[in-house]
Amino acid sequence: MSIIALAGNPNSGKSSIFNQLTGLRQKVANFPGVTVEKKFGKLHLRGGVEATLIDLPGAYSLYPNSQDEQVVLNVLANPADENYPDAIVYIADVTNLEKHLLLLTQILDLGFPCLLALNMSDIAEKEGIKADVKRLSDFLKIPVIPVSGRKGTNIDVLKEGITVLLNEKIKGNGHFALYEPSGNEQEVLTELKQNFDIDNPYRALLLAHHFKKLPFLKTADKERIEQSVKKSGFQDIRLQIAETMRRFDKFTPVLRQAITKNSDKTTFSDKLDAVLTHRTFAPLIFVAIMFLVFQAIYAWAEYPMNWIESGFAWISGFVKNTLPAGWFADLLTDGVLAGLGGILVFVPQIAILFLLITILEEIGYMARAVFIFDKIMQQFGLNGRSVVALISGGACAIPAIMSTRTIGNWKERLITIMVTPFISCSARIPVYAVLIGFVVPSKKVAGIFNLQGLAFMGLYLLGIGAALISAVIFKKILRSEERSFLMLQLPPYRFPVWKNVWHAIYEKVSVFVWEAGKVILLISVVLWALASYGPAAEMELAEKTALETARQENLDEEAVQDLVAARKIEASYAGHIGKWIEPAIRPLGFDWKIGIALVTSFAAREVFVATMATLYSIGSSDDESTVHDRLSQARRPETGELVYTPATALSLLIFYVFAMQCMSTLAVVKRETGHWKWAFLQFAFMSGLAYLGSLLVYQIMA
Amino acid sequence: MNTPISGLKKGHSGTISSFTDDHIASKLMTMGVLPGSSVQLIRIAPFKGGYYLKVDGMSMVVREKEASSIVLEVH
Repeated sequence: MSIIALAGNPNSGKSSIFNQLTGLRQKVANFPGVTVEKKFGKLHLRGGVEATLIDLPGAYSLYPNSQDEQVVLNVLANPADENYPDAIVYIADVTNLEKHLLLLTQILDLGFPCLLALNMSDIAEKEGIKADVKRLSDFLKIPVIPVSGRKGTNIDVLKEGITVLLNEKIKGNGHFALYEPSGNEQEVLTELKQNFDIDNPYRALLLAHHFKKLPFLKTADKERIEQSVKKSGFQDIRLQIAETMRRFDKFTPVLRQAITKNSDKTTFSDKLDAVLTHRTFAPLIFVAIMFLVFQAIYAWAEYPMNWIESGFAWISGFVKNTLPAGWFADLLTDGVLAGLGGILVFVPQIAILFLLITILEEIGYMARAVFIFDKIMQQFGLNGRSVVALISGGACAIPAIMSTRTIGNWKERLITIMVTPFISCSARIPVYAVLIGFVVPSKKVAGIFNLQGLAFMGLYLLGIGAALISAVIFKKILRSEERSFLMLQLPPYRFPVWKNVWHAIYEKVSVFVWEAGKVILLISVVLWALASYGPAAEMELAEKTALETARQENLDEEAVQDLVAARKIEASYAGHIGKWIEPAIRPLGFDWKIGIALVTSFAAREVFVATMATLYSIGSSDDESTVHDRLSQARRPETGELVYTPATALSLLIFYVFAMQCMSTLAVVKRETGHWKWAFLQFAFMSGLAYLGSLLVYQIMA
Repeated sequence: MNTPISGLKKGHSGTISSFTDDHIASKLMTMGVLPGSSVQLIRIAPFKGGYYLKVDGMSMVVREKEASSIVLEVH
């Protein structure tokens, strides 16, 4: 099947065109070796012909300044690449055409069959911009088609153009002569062409410029290219500047004739920016918008999350009642269904966050956020866009981490991913609620503030502080060859294209469900097995003694079940792990029961409450105040002291502020960074900090 | 008169005459910021952050480091 690639600058409206051409027949993967999103889909052309359409990342040129641009170069400079296109549809914003053609001239010099789609023709019409299509087409010697991805105008003409392109292979005729190499370059080219059997001179030139960073070249090839390059005194940066200048010099005069514009006047965007990027108002407006986003994920998501939870509870109950009791029913309900529920329960938060973020992105506001916060975030090794991730992390780290895709600098993106889980998410609230009463009494200070409320705020601030300080640490540790710079176009404010918004939501949700979901389901089943199984003899004994005790104490049926559950989890493998790690966590003030809860709540922090309920034989009533009351009576068997002293409770609180107790987040980190390495590092770093923090607190207080 | 953008007053404009850093220049040029482009400094971000520029009618942001490497001929 033929491959067609969409290429163009960022902000050229490529994704709208892509969505128009493929509809819902699209998939998302990563380009090999990097976490740059590769969108592709099926394209149905005239006569039943099918082709694969790939949306290349936005790029300004084949001289890469970002990972996105590097990917475009990797694909287009390597005919052996699996994504190497048979033809290219170049998308350019007709309202700003003179800044959009550099990459096109380079693509033409590579000899690709190509057509130019002038996007945003509807806006151009409104703004009184006229493009002389014939003149452009004559100059570039390729078909030129005005389209609108926003309105869907001329998409059928574009498809027809692609059909013709594939049939006739209208080449950029090998060497388009928009640009001719100078003497110095010519020398290297001759050598490279001989040595590597490259027929296209511009491709040879690109190899000479970029060989060090091209993943498809073998080390031996790189060395050979380096020799040729050194011999001829090839100066890449100067040559690159000269080449860029000559290309612009060539097409700019033609564009002046082909495009008629009204004189630049103050636009609506300028007026809006006067407020939205204003020195004083901008941060305030941003915080207000982010508060709305936070509120939305936090409060609105609660309803669908409750439906999902009760839905799964119902199914689980149904399965338990229908299937014969036994390991299979337990595996289905407590392992698989619990895992599936644990995956799907995040979907509302992900959907709502991406609804709002994509709208902000589509409108053009996100670029302004970068402008406003770049300086502050730089101090912490983060990016202006990291603010969005950090704030939404207050609801849930999972969508927050998924939102870092738009951070172009890899190091800044990685640091954002690493520190976002420190921000206290909504799953920590139940844990805080159970424990905070042991540390501070519920009373008013200064007449208005509730002491527990202040303590809550303290825990949140602690998380924020940990995130920022860790960011500085990672900034110092992580090596990066990328130079940090900021050159960001601020696109004019536009109404969102709803199709793009729905596509973004659909894509994020399905990536989470299918990719991170697999890992979550697996861990969930493992945790279920650990908590339900133990050495057979011990499990039996536990059940028997529990029933014995129950009979002696004359307990009712519910209490019997709770007692059996408590004794069984103690005898289970999770119980063994809890006891096994007890020596390690004793200095933190934790006993083996807390140890078990630490293990099980790795599934999700709020599981702590349910596990505690089970352990203290109140499994059938696991609301937070009941658990709190039960914990407040717990005593250490050997000394008779209370287990939950202020020292232990605060130590445990600190632990939950810092620790990476969330398998779903780890699964997402793996997916977003492409390596388990970063997920493990994050787990080790956060757990280490949690351990030290708790140790310090307990040893000082106890 | 020649001055880097970082020395420009808010609202003032000029034409790019040269760049003082080849690496920054090569990146800026791919975005169409070229010698001869007209540049207006619209505003500077809060906390002394980014420079909001209009280059031939295109709005864009650079940091102080980049702004100080773009030399303008001020009319």
